[in-house]
Amino acid sequence: MKLPEPQVAVLNAASATDELSIDHLAEETGLKPETATQAVFELRDGGFLGVAEAESVAYELTDEGRAYVDAGLPEVRLYRAAVEAGAADGPVQMGRVIGAADLDGPEVDIALANFGRKGYGNIDSGELSADGDADTESDPEAVALVALANAEGDGETRAEADTLADVDGDVLDQLVSRNLIERHERTVRTVTLTDAGVTALMEGVEAAETVDRLTPEMLTSGEWADVEFTEYNVEADAPEVRGGKTHVLRQTAERVKDVLVGMGFQEMDGPHADADFWINDCLFMPQDHPARTHWDRFALDVPPIEDLPEDLVDRVERTHREGVDEDGDGYHSPWSEDFARAIALRGHTTSLSMRYLSGTQIGDLEPPQRYFSVEKVYRNDTLDATHLLEFFQIEGWVMAEDLSVRDLMGTFVEFYEQFGITDVQFKPHYNPYTEPSFELFGRHPTTGELIEIGNSGMFRDEVLEPLGVEHDVMAWGLALERLAMLTTGAEDIRDLHGTLADLDFLRGAEVTY
Amino acid sequence: MPVVDIDPDELRELTGHEEKGDEELKSDLFGLGLEYEGETEEGLLQFEFGPDRLDRLSVEGVARSLRYHYGDARGVAVPDTNDPDFTYVVDANVPDERPYVTGAIVRGVTLDEAALDSLIQLQEKLHATMGRKRAKGAIGIHDLVAIKGDVLSEEGDGNSITYTGIDPEGDTFVPLDSDREMTPAAVLEEHPTGEKYADIVREYDRYPAIYDELGLFSFPPVINGRRTEVSTDSRDLLVELTGTDQWTIDRMCNIICYALSARGATIEDVEIVYGESSPEGERTLVRPDFEVETKSVSHDRIERMLGVEFASEEVVDLFERSGLGAVVVDSEDPETTSYEVSIPPYRVDVLHPLDLVDDVGRAYGFDELEPRYPDVGTVGGRHERSRLEAATRNVLTGLGFEDLLNFHMTSETEVYERMNVEVGSDILGGGDPVRITEPYSEDYEILRPWALPSLAMVLENNTHRAYPQDLAEVGLVAERDDDVNTRVRERRHVAGVLARHDATYEDAKARLQTICRDFDVDLETPPTEHPSFIDGRVASVVIDGEPVGVVGELHPEILVEHDLELPVAAFEFDLEALGDE
Repeated sequence: MKLPEPQVAVLNAASATDELSIDHLAEETGLKPETATQAVFELRDGGFLGVAEAESVAYELTDEGRAYVDAGLPEVRLYRAAVEAGAADGPVQMGRVIGAADLDGPEVDIALANFGRKGYGNIDSGELSADGDADTESDPEAVALVALANAEGDGETRAEADTLADVDGDVLDQLVSRNLIERHERTVRTVTLTDAGVTALMEGVEAAETVDRLTPEMLTSGEWADVEFTEYNVEADAPEVRGGKTHVLRQTAERVKDVLVGMGFQEMDGPHADADFWINDCLFMPQDHPARTHWDRFALDVPPIEDLPEDLVDRVERTHREGVDEDGDGYHSPWSEDFARAIALRGHTTSLSMRYLSGTQIGDLEPPQRYFSVEKVYRNDTLDATHLLEFFQIEGWVMAEDLSVRDLMGTFVEFYEQFGITDVQFKPHYNPYTEPSFELFGRHPTTGELIEIGNSGMFRDEVLEPLGVEHDVMAWGLALERLAMLTTGAEDIRDLHGTLADLDFLRGAEVTY
Repeated sequence: MPVVDIDPDELRELTGHEEKGDEELKSDLFGLGLEYEGETEEGLLQFEFGPDRLDRLSVEGVARSLRYHYGDARGVAVPDTNDPDFTYVVDANVPDERPYVTGAIVRGVTLDEAALDSLIQLQEKLHATMGRKRAKGAIGIHDLVAIKGDVLSEEGDGNSITYTGIDPEGDTFVPLDSDREMTPAAVLEEHPTGEKYADIVREYDRYPAIYDELGLFSFPPVINGRRTEVSTDSRDLLVELTGTDQWTIDRMCNIICYALSARGATIEDVEIVYGESSPEGERTLVRPDFEVETKSVSHDRIERMLGVEFASEEVVDLFERSGLGAVVVDSEDPETTSYEVSIPPYRVDVLHPLDLVDDVGRAYGFDELEPRYPDVGTVGGRHERSRLEAATRNVLTGLGFEDLLNFHMTSETEVYERMNVEVGSDILGGGDPVRITEPYSEDYEILRPWALPSLAMVLENNTHRAYPQDLAEVGLVAERDDDVNTRVRERRHVAGVLARHDATYEDAKARLQTICRDFDVDLETPPTEHPSFIDGRVASVVIDGEPVGVVGELHPEILVEHDLELPVAAFEFDLEALGDE
């Protein structure tokens, strides 16, 4: 029969009568211990070897124990000093004895505790008396320490338990508990040939050729058919391999885009730096609205925008001042074209919606239309674990002949369901540009907490009329980071976004799909 | 969003619902859009709400809304007012910047501590919201007992106070929370409240001032005089508001008057006499302005907006439960049925009939509406640039790059100085920066003109992480360009760095070649110079004949500056070069 080479060697080295240890076999065959062990178990599984396991115990002196071999146990030293000081005849001052015994530090406590335990004498009110008959010469613990030191082999600090047969087990336990020696236990496997093993050897065993790697040469020569492949440890950890990965927030953005495209939405694109006209005035945000003050917006140090559609500017101004329709009122706020023309970083991507709805971006739009963007916006907010100065806003709107609040609700229920957020609730809200307006709340898929997930509404007549839109438009906005934190479980938004990003976090981030 | 602090006992008393527990009140208020936020140290309940219903900035207004909600009140209620006894004369010297005044006399108030606190809170919240931090409108409330009206000389049958403007050093008075005479100018310098609101009036030639027969008693919008301070002993009040817009201060005044009227006070009209030099010329107004406005809403609009069919009686009922009055017009024909809706004078949020539709929806309960998916078909699709970005990211991650997402705002030091690039130099990254006017911090003061500095910062922040670090980003860069309509030239750049022990120019170029091959564009790399890179190991990225970027080995100075202890090969170029056009 044919067996792999290591198995053949082990089988030949094993005996039917003597129990041999695996270490012994490894030495005999010149195999590495782990290779020999593997071969032994493979042979056992084949029924050729019997393996017996026995516990082996060895003892080893600790540094403290080794020190006492020469110096003597502290309690013995104390006893001898005490006897010398006359303590065998009557109590003597303890301090004197301790000094004479040359004990210091923790040794003092050790000496006193064991002195009493072993009956070498008594300690009372700071005085010490010794039992003159005590036999410290044959103190079993001291004797055992010396025996252990003598049993140490060449360069070998452990002594097998069977070399210490004379020493009482209780004494060894005591020394272990005093931390003077250490006990080492291990399993020793011994091997004997089974009958099947003997038979196989008698019938003749040959080494099969095994190979480690499959090479191109083997494939072309056909040699692969005659070889055995070395078995690998397929459970062992492999070295780390890193590939590139799309940023975790981008993955969420891509997922959102997929969902919206699937729902029939077209993507918008437009400038990050834009005139306040598109960012705010078209949205019927009064110019003295708190969100338009300098501490909320990033104004840019550049000249005002060059071109705005003049007739649209006129209509927007008139709307701010007078409102729209017979029964409409304007704001009682100042309005200046200079402010409208000033350039700032957009605080929301609704500026894109305004550009598209006005017909200036891609021409006039006839209903029905659905548009979206997942793009960056800039807010002069406090930077913390949940707020960034720039973040992604998901913006979407639907234009149709006839839309109601129910259509708005239906769209959002559908959208959020794609992200596992069900039970969407609509809390009536106020925005200058939509009426009715709703804050959207949803249940966190894992914590069950009710959290704000967006802001929505039907664009006001004051927004749509100046833009020349004669149909209903519903719109909504939501921070992508909020959705990403919900779906990835990230707790600090700054781990996700920006130059403080931790590469380990990005490399280890779970893939979104 | 505004927050109102409410004493639940006061709320129970004012609504007449002593049986309501705190939890029940919270839940009822949530239904009105007031969200419970927590409790103050004094045990007041705090509620946050949208900044439209500013008439709910105090417990009196919240109680009124609840009474409508419970059905205890219906329709529009307007307090009776007594004929004017006081006249507010607007003097020709009044500051041009703040020409308007309004007010009311309130008699027979009973102010216990809670009521006084509530009044002060309402005043402060109105300042913060409608009053735009007092710049647009500011309220002064005075104890009438302390005011001696200048008897009008001609008619001789009334009292008057005068709103005027004085030299900053022109007179003195003892302001609230002080015990010494100060000029208005000194108040701005030395009084804590004065310092806080100094910016509003600092540029005025003349400071706003209100006088009675005894002299200066108020310095709006900054601070009142101590002489007329309101206390729990006050019985009659003089309310004055000054501002930059008559409508705004009139509405603020109405909200104050409604709140005091809810506590049993009687409102007395005042006459406001503007002279020739005022913006609208000579005229006399009677205030407070409790005129009830009306707007017309069509039945059809309500049904279409809410997606629900209503009977007209039901709509009238919903209006009345919102504190509005409604009369059906043309009820015979549902196509043309409309409602003449009357709006109480404390409402500041009704600009258009559709705001009234919202009220109907709230009264009906938006949660009663059944969501439905809109039955209109559209075709979805990505923007071409967004597809190009995504495809480029795919190629980069396929090449083993970790895709990054950095801020577009950064500091000037990071993109120029730390990269050895001079502002305004004719190289990649050397363009004029787009500056933020009032930056939040030095870390975010410009838009980045190129992306490699961001990647270098990420490398710098991750020197403790395993190498190789191959990082890439497809993202926005911007530079100042006055030929562009928005004055900002926005581009998307593709940037990559290879930080590894054996990184060389060839590693960067190899990847660049693959990217260009994948997008089927021609790549040439003629030698160039760039101060961020090692001379002789840097090339211009020329795609389809156009120079669009740079590739090379980062200069050791840049590496050391970023605490990097290994070579970095890098490239950056314009994304559009990979596109079809």
